[in-house]
Amino acid sequence: MTVGLVAVMWVASALVAAGALVAAWRRDLTASLAAIPLIFGGAAVAFAGAARFSAAGGPPIFGQAVVVLIAVTALALVALGVGIAGREASR
Amino acid sequence: MDSLHAIGFYVSATLSVGGALLVAFLPDRERRGLALAVTGLGLSGVMVTLSAGLAALVVLVCYLAMALLLAGPRYRVFELSVGTGWRQLGALGAAALFALLAFAAFRGDFVHTGYFGGSFGSAAIGRFLLDHDALATEAVGALVLVALVGAAAGWRVRERGR
Repeated sequence: MTVGLVAVMWVASALVAAGALVAAWRRDLTASLAAIPLIFGGAAVAFAGAARFSAAGGPPIFGQAVVVLIAVTALALVALGVGIAGREASR
Repeated sequence: MDSLHAIGFYVSATLSVGGALLVAFLPDRERRGLALAVTGLGLSGVMVTLSAGLAALVVLVCYLAMALLLAGPRYRVFELSVGTGWRQLGALGAAALFALLAFAAFRGDFVHTGYFGGSFGSAAIGRFLLDHDALATEAVGALVLVALVGAAAGWRVRERGR
């Protein structure tokens, strides 16, 4: 049993599609915010997989650094979204 | 990658994708927050098996914080009047997106190289973020600042409105 870049990309695809499903399926706009970490998580898995298996042209740490930036960005966007949703809902 | 890492990868991938599907379909926000935390745990495990230890730690902390935000008392329902037919069409679009991305991954001709980095890589990532890609780090820092100021402003307006 082994893992390759294709398996990593399948997991990333599933997470991105699940995020799109959350964005399309949830009627509540605040609940749809959960799509952000799922889609960003899929991108993060793809970056980490590319860094681990096929970083031929650049430094192998590049993908991991992008994962850190993606996670922090997702957290900031969800905080902003929850704040804006609370402001709109109070009107 | 040896068998133990491969088993860890598949278990973590199942956790993350299963948690993501639960986020889509669970009815109440507490359980959706718990499902998002499970997704973060799975993602963190995937990162560990991909030799990205520091990224796994950051991902775990950020996803737990997002789960707390989405399940906590600050949550307010803000419903849109979208018909069921459009939502089902969107779900079908998500399935088509998955099929397209999975097919592209399956048919992709990727370069295979060896990995010479460590399993945690905090020093290398720190050097990379603060030296080589400092502008990107500063951009994300500015985004975090704007997001926190915006969130704080939104919460203050709501507290005044009570």
